[in-house]
Amino acid sequence: MEYTRKFTEKLSVEQVKIELLNTAYGNGNTFFASLDPRTLFIWYAYFGIFPWFIHDVKVLIGMFVFMLITTYMAKISPLIIVILCLGLLGQGGYLLIFSLFFGGNWSVMLPLLVLTVKLSVISLASITVFCSMNPEKLSNGLLKIGLPGQVSFSIAYGYRMLPTLLEEYHHVFQSFRLRGKAPAKHGFLYIKSIAYFVKLAMLSFYPLLLSTAKRARTTVEALETKGSMYGFNHPEVKKLKLAGLKMKKRDYYFLTGSFLYVICLFILL
Amino acid sequence: MKPIIEIKNVTYQYPGADKPVLNNVTLTIEKGEFTAILGGNGSGKSTLCKLINGLIPHYYVGDFSGEVIVNGMNTAEHKVAELSRHTGYVYQDFENQIVSPKVLEDAEFAPLHYGLADYRERALHALELVGLLEQQDNFIWQLSGGQKHLLALASILSLNPEIIIIDEPVAQLDPQHAKEIYEILKKLNDVHGKTIIVIEHHTEFVASYAKNVILMNKGDVHFKKPVKEALNEVKTLLAHQIYPPQVTQAAADMEMSSNLPITIDEALPLFQGMRELEEKKVINRHTGDKPLVVFEDVTFSYKTITKEKNRVLHDLNLTIYEGDYIALVGNNGAGKSSLMRLITGLVKQESGHIEVNGNNARKTAPEHLAEIVTYIHQNPEQMFIDDSVKKDVGFYMKARKDPMAEEKVAELLNQFELVELADRDSRLLSGGQQRRASLAIGVGMQPKIMLLDEPTANLDIATRKHITRILVDLKQQLQAVVIATHDMQLACEFANRIIVMHEGNIIHDGTKESVFENYTLLEKAGLTPPQIFELSRSLGWENPVYTVEAFVELYRRKAVSDGVYA
Repeated sequence: MEYTRKFTEKLSVEQVKIELLNTAYGNGNTFFASLDPRTLFIWYAYFGIFPWFIHDVKVLIGMFVFMLITTYMAKISPLIIVILCLGLLGQGGYLLIFSLFFGGNWSVMLPLLVLTVKLSVISLASITVFCSMNPEKLSNGLLKIGLPGQVSFSIAYGYRMLPTLLEEYHHVFQSFRLRGKAPAKHGFLYIKSIAYFVKLAMLSFYPLLLSTAKRARTTVEALETKGSMYGFNHPEVKKLKLAGLKMKKRDYYFLTGSFLYVICLFILL
Repeated sequence: MKPIIEIKNVTYQYPGADKPVLNNVTLTIEKGEFTAILGGNGSGKSTLCKLINGLIPHYYVGDFSGEVIVNGMNTAEHKVAELSRHTGYVYQDFENQIVSPKVLEDAEFAPLHYGLADYRERALHALELVGLLEQQDNFIWQLSGGQKHLLALASILSLNPEIIIIDEPVAQLDPQHAKEIYEILKKLNDVHGKTIIVIEHHTEFVASYAKNVILMNKGDVHFKKPVKEALNEVKTLLAHQIYPPQVTQAAADMEMSSNLPITIDEALPLFQGMRELEEKKVINRHTGDKPLVVFEDVTFSYKTITKEKNRVLHDLNLTIYEGDYIALVGNNGAGKSSLMRLITGLVKQESGHIEVNGNNARKTAPEHLAEIVTYIHQNPEQMFIDDSVKKDVGFYMKARKDPMAEEKVAELLNQFELVELADRDSRLLSGGQQRRASLAIGVGMQPKIMLLDEPTANLDIATRKHITRILVDLKQQLQAVVIATHDMQLACEFANRIIVMHEGNIIHDGTKESVFENYTLLEKAGLTPPQIFELSRSLGWENPVYTVEAFVELYRRKAVSDGVYA
């Protein structure tokens, strides 16, 4: 009981909010954060897709090591890493159990490991790239490669609203807790309590939707008065906005370095 | 000189409404005016302001007739985007107006999207004007409520508009921040020649800062007059449920002839001869001896975004007894909400001990404490979890399968004057109605202790008085009440114990007398006592009064006893 209490205190909504914001905005001074978003897009276009088509275990492991290094350099929040590991283990684990159940044997381990390594490379590449770009940078990058202003703005704005929404959700959830009645007994393996909280977690979304709809009205009006429509429709605004984006030497070095590393993997291994 | 805003015979009806919200309104505002718009809820104040930046008729469809000319442009012929460069609008729910995650980015947003190459300089200049320059690299989550309001203002100032409209600047701010924003508006008006329009319920601010007053009534401009004349129309204002400054009310009650004072400075010479009665009131803080809530050396911190711990409460000691009706006062960020939330068990202290009706708050689940303590949120919407007022009020009883639930709900709806609203969605009610619904929900939980966070914030003065009356009546049903508030009139009328907090410490624990007579304390905690109190103190009274009624009463008795002031 003591441990669960300590654990739940650590895992408060406040904490999740802080982690989330740090993941989104907190990595401003890493090497990756100083790269141009286009560099990161190109880099990701390779490491996010090509591992699917590579079957050489050694090359995959080589890439995996590279990804470990980049993830370390990008100073990813531990929470994200934990979630990622849980996801990968869960994925591999359930496939293993399934195959054993349907008459497979331990020889499925190897192909499953290969799959897991592939998935890891792709996932690590994703978090390296997306955690290194704050939403503003991401949206500017997308604008630069030709997406409409509305789309790129929505991304940046979505992040701006995230903490507010989370907080509001938390309030509603707390109201449910305070006014409802928790089950008197926890039940076998806390089943009753867990079921109760899951139910509350779902119910809490409805009031949230309604109040968000109300807020949105002011925001939409404010956007109008702040000239966002004007900005989306005038190319010179886009130019002004993206004037800060430039491919620098380090971008080219990084891309060349990554390219050479991959070539070496193929040739040497 | 040509007026900067001309509104000619405008009638407007929202789609779906059964009568127009603006009814043949004609109005002119000159360049460089500082105008306050007064009027009850639903009198069309906000709608009038939305005419000026073209949101009506471009954004709101509806029946629009008449003509609005702003800075020489007919609003019907120009786009909102164009008009917005001349008119900046700060909303009442200004938080939703901030669209970027960082301070500087938000200030830049408008000039950047209008394609102005000097957007950075404009933003920095605007931030400097409102005093947020040091915060430019911060996230908006790191700002206090007052700073967010200033940012919303800076974000429109970056376009350098000639007209600035602010919807109820004081509603969400403590008195000190409210004064700060008015000082900035005054500077923008005096030095930069901006035309300022505020929607404001607090006539004391209107008296000190505005030059002209527009009184709205049911979609019509009742009058537009210079501030002094306007606030002298005490009867008219009261008939529209607007309360003139306390000094003006007092002077009117004493039937002083024309030319009533509207500020303390004006009032002082008028009342100069008046002396207080000799009788010394007995200051008696009567509370029971049964402790309900005990705080022992409690500290509380929360983690900030930068992962630093921010200590909100420092080694706090406090005992709340049965029969305590406490007003918890102090600036935003003094730790009032944290203290109350600790009592609910929703957050846990870092160190120290909290006991609530014999339960260790750290070890007791909030669900269990909820049967003893009820917390009423500052924003009532956070308490609405069902789709009608009736269901929301009955939620707690239904969850406990109370066989008497139906009757109890009916009784509560009656007590809080919600019978006609029973089937409406609580989120769509007006501010005062929402507040009553949240109180009904709270009382429905049959608590021993009730905690209220700013129960009168965001309400117009008439509604505020109504809620205050309801709260005073509530005392009988509860063993103890704690109200965190900036509303000193509420504190004076309601509380028998006032606790002053400052930077996470309790710096005073006493009565209204001991609080308001302590000048250094008021200064330190940023409290503004009721205006009539300030007046009686400025007159040099040893026992100043707290209400207009008491002041007038004193005057009458004095007049009877020596016949000088009749």
